[in-house]
Amino acid sequence: MSRPLHDRIEAQRIAADLEEPVDEAGNLARKFGLDPYEVNYWIVDYDEMNELIAYGGFQQRYPHWRWGMQYDRQQKQSQFLGGKAFEIVNNDDPSHAFLQESNTISDQKAVITHVEAHADFFANNEWFGMFAGWASQRDADSADGERRTRSPNAAAMLARHADAIEAFMTDPDIERGAVEKWIDHVLTLEDNIDQHQPYEPIDTRIDLIDEHDTADVAEQLEELDLSDEVKGQVFTEEWLDAQADDEDVTTFPAEPEKDVLGFLRKHGMQYDGDAAKAAEMDDWQKDILEMLRREAYYFAPQKMTKVMNEGWAAFWESAMMTGETFAGDDEFVLYADHMAKVLGSSGLNPYSLGLEIWQYVENSTNRREVVERLLRVEDVTWRNFHDTIDFDHVQELLEPDPEMASVGTHLEDLDPDDPRVDAEALDRAQSGDLDVETYPWKVLTTEGLAERHYSLTKPQNRGFVSRVSQEELERVSRYMFDEARYASVEEALADIDYARGWDRMREIRESHNDVTFLDEFLTQEFVDENEYFTYEYTQSTGDYRVTSTDYRDVKKKLMLQFTNFGKPTVVVEDGNYNNRNELLLSHLYNGVMIDMKQAKDTLKRVFELWGRPVNLKTIVKEFDEHDVEVAKRRDREPEPEEVGRLLRYDGDEVTIEELPWDAVEHLAADDIDYDTKPDEWLA
Amino acid sequence: MGLKDDLDRYREVGEQRRQDLSEFIQYGDLGQSRPDSVKVPIKIVDLPEFAYDKRDEGGVGQGDAEAGDPVDAQPQPADDGDEDGDPGEEGGEHEYYEMDPEEFAQELDEQLGLDLEPKGKKVIEEKEGDFTDITRSGPTSTLDFERLFKQGLKRKLAMDFDRDYVREALKVDGWGPAKVFEWARGENMPVSRAWIEDAYDEIPAGEKTTWESIEEMEANTERVDTARRIRREGIDQVPFRREDERYRYPEIVEEREKNVVVVNIRDVSGSMRQKKRELVERTFTPLDWYLQGKYDNAEFVYIAHDADAWEVERDEFFGIRSGGGTRISSAYDLAAELLEEYPWSDWNRYVFAAGDSENSSNDTEEHVIPLMEQIPANLHAYVETQPSGNAINATHAEEVERSFRSADNVAVAYVSSPDDVVDAIYEILSTEDDQ
Repeated sequence: MSRPLHDRIEAQRIAADLEEPVDEAGNLARKFGLDPYEVNYWIVDYDEMNELIAYGGFQQRYPHWRWGMQYDRQQKQSQFLGGKAFEIVNNDDPSHAFLQESNTISDQKAVITHVEAHADFFANNEWFGMFAGWASQRDADSADGERRTRSPNAAAMLARHADAIEAFMTDPDIERGAVEKWIDHVLTLEDNIDQHQPYEPIDTRIDLIDEHDTADVAEQLEELDLSDEVKGQVFTEEWLDAQADDEDVTTFPAEPEKDVLGFLRKHGMQYDGDAAKAAEMDDWQKDILEMLRREAYYFAPQKMTKVMNEGWAAFWESAMMTGETFAGDDEFVLYADHMAKVLGSSGLNPYSLGLEIWQYVENSTNRREVVERLLRVEDVTWRNFHDTIDFDHVQELLEPDPEMASVGTHLEDLDPDDPRVDAEALDRAQSGDLDVETYPWKVLTTEGLAERHYSLTKPQNRGFVSRVSQEELERVSRYMFDEARYASVEEALADIDYARGWDRMREIRESHNDVTFLDEFLTQEFVDENEYFTYEYTQSTGDYRVTSTDYRDVKKKLMLQFTNFGKPTVVVEDGNYNNRNELLLSHLYNGVMIDMKQAKDTLKRVFELWGRPVNLKTIVKEFDEHDVEVAKRRDREPEPEEVGRLLRYDGDEVTIEELPWDAVEHLAADDIDYDTKPDEWLA
Repeated sequence: MGLKDDLDRYREVGEQRRQDLSEFIQYGDLGQSRPDSVKVPIKIVDLPEFAYDKRDEGGVGQGDAEAGDPVDAQPQPADDGDEDGDPGEEGGEHEYYEMDPEEFAQELDEQLGLDLEPKGKKVIEEKEGDFTDITRSGPTSTLDFERLFKQGLKRKLAMDFDRDYVREALKVDGWGPAKVFEWARGENMPVSRAWIEDAYDEIPAGEKTTWESIEEMEANTERVDTARRIRREGIDQVPFRREDERYRYPEIVEEREKNVVVVNIRDVSGSMRQKKRELVERTFTPLDWYLQGKYDNAEFVYIAHDADAWEVERDEFFGIRSGGGTRISSAYDLAAELLEEYPWSDWNRYVFAAGDSENSSNDTEEHVIPLMEQIPANLHAYVETQPSGNAINATHAEEVERSFRSADNVAVAYVSSPDDVVDAIYEILSTEDDQ
């Protein structure tokens, strides 16, 4: 791909136009309390943009058809964003963001503000920190000051991988097709890593030594490479079993291993089709496995925080564009249109889900602050709260001070010692060195901005405080101990902390991922307000039906889509299954079946990386045909029976065996029932 | 390296990913196709992975809904255009490879190893071919002007002679018109006596004795041939003659049209449940496509029957279910009647029937088999769809097979599960192929 086009006059012109918005967006983001990586903005044309998107936000990736596929899909899904890809930014320090040159100024501004928020997320969310051990400057400056200097250096890493793989492909001693196939095999297991652990490169020598001590004799025999005849004569089955009994054989691995790719890197072998047996992996195979594993770990945090991240970016983009009218007056309509397109798509939209939860977090935290104070007003209790509090009055009192709301007209009234005021900027504004009309926010501090943008007094949130539930009131008062009482509502709300919502949001964006985010903040209120529901496939009608609007069900279903990348958890249970070095994978069954067809196909790929027969233990649900007929007639849902299954691939054919329940019982550990069908429906 | 290469790689892979035809017929979604357009799904996401069973997973949606409301399932979180470095991985969307029935027929031929040649029947149509015939009269617009001009030019050239040369000859001392005429003719010049005499008169008196002899004249005069003369002087007139006129006329081409009428018969009685109906659909639909692809002109007749038979439209054909008993001959009676519109002399015919082999007692032997013998067709076929093996009264297929063992235009196939469908199709089509 060509370099970003500084050379073109056209591109430069646009870049010049955007310098100011870029600088100011960065400033405004910091004023809002964000702390983004530095962002380098590049202007690219339509084709370059599509290439970047196809490559996942980078300029160079290893050669593979998947990029072509992504490009193809991207073309076809362009109806989602009206044919435009607005921006792309990658996780790196500094981040690189690419803007399409044909975007309107209004779009570019929206994009830039969005990008700044993403850059803040990458820089602060701890899940991203696990890959590189944190980026440099930030922690050097942070309170605990632990110096962690490595940034992901993502672009460089991906480029290195690309070059290395390209070199393998052009190496005359290596068959190009074999390289491509090998990559395909590894990619099927892209998500089978341990994403909750920091990335540790595999150092084969150390690991092998450990394993070697407890390795089964049979494995060592494999390495001796004797002919079957000789083996059969000397090392009879009985002899081998006797050996196995003598040794203090611990399971291998000791604990079920979630990093399947890592395990295969350490202990896997390739399958030599001609010789019809396993052989040690070539160096290039080991290298590719590890490179792709490293990339999987690099991208994992992004996959794990998609909802949060997109919601975060949408939230701050909106705050900057409309809240601070970063969009000019004439650009505002275009911006509204932009947001409508982004948020308006059908299906479950991570942008809107994320944004809604962040807004909910902001509101409910702010509301908590209000409620805590009001409950300390004389004669107010959680029981009489709704009867004694005049919510309209409360809303009035909560309104931001006029000096905060319209800075320009109140310049003289601002006090440089006010913690909400940026004294230095005020000085410049008053002497005319600062354009207050355009940049009123410069004169304020984060605290000031928090008041200025206070959520509870926005028109769409007017009734939020009054909707607080009895349960919540009761809960809040439970944790209130002997605290000073306020004489009046006015007094209680006099020095309310306007920034509590944003402070809490910043904490959350550091510590959470999508699963914990959804788990914690999806309440019944949220589900009701945003009209979420669950649906299931129903046998009686042969189609999908709405099954529940209860928030616990909605949460369960969402968990399914976000936990473990929305895929079933498969771990390595045994690397010496059947005492013949077969691989045994286990599906940690949570009530939802694994897709059998794909599982078979994937197993075939795993075989190529293990070299010896591979097995998968799982649990399936079986419906008795007769039960189904009966249930259908009664317009009810049939109940399935759970049975164990063993899938096996030996290089020749796939076999499926039924397993007794005790062999799979340990897999069905979860108490959660992911089926949301109402009980009344069941036959 | 680069996106272009990766796109090429993807195209290669994509081609291979098209669901193979057998798989498509037996398990695929036939619903996206139309009678004249076959859509074979291509799965976009190709690499397998450990994933949840889609149906068992269910999903979450947004909107004003109540338990029990149907949902238009779009299970995945929507894909977003602005990614921050995340390679997309949602999947399972289908794209379709569209082919017309001709291509389908070709591919099926390849896959099954058939090569059915459609027969041209005696329907001869006089069609106007190219305007290559020539006649001597016709409408002005079809005048072959080029030819006319060429003829005129030929004439001109043929009548042309070097006038100056002949005039010079007239200037030979002692040579009069008669002598020159004789000489000119001897030189193969198409000059007329009259012209010579006129030319002679035109020569001024003093010049009539310019040359002492013909030899002298020849030695001193350049004789210019026609072509050079024309090149030098041009032609001011090309003579057009009536007899040179030619008119173009269309060739009469005799076309033998390859027509086919396919009669699809289905038992819709109570015993034909969902699974059986689906098997019929999976067998008949590809057959219809195949024949449509092979023949120029295909017509389809759909007959549903239980104890009685009635004609239906294609849309209803596969879904109908009635409650009555079964009498297969009713369908053949109706078929015979409807086929009167398509005389055997002009139409290729295929009569396909399907059911679970249940029939009223003796109906097969007494009525159906005779009717089958009486209705001339390229191919008669019966497809037994009996998912749970043979039922006691289900003997129709066997009986037909027995009776027509020696006939070469009757095929019987047994389908008890989707796995059998392609074999059944092969069985049926290869019967005609072997004829």
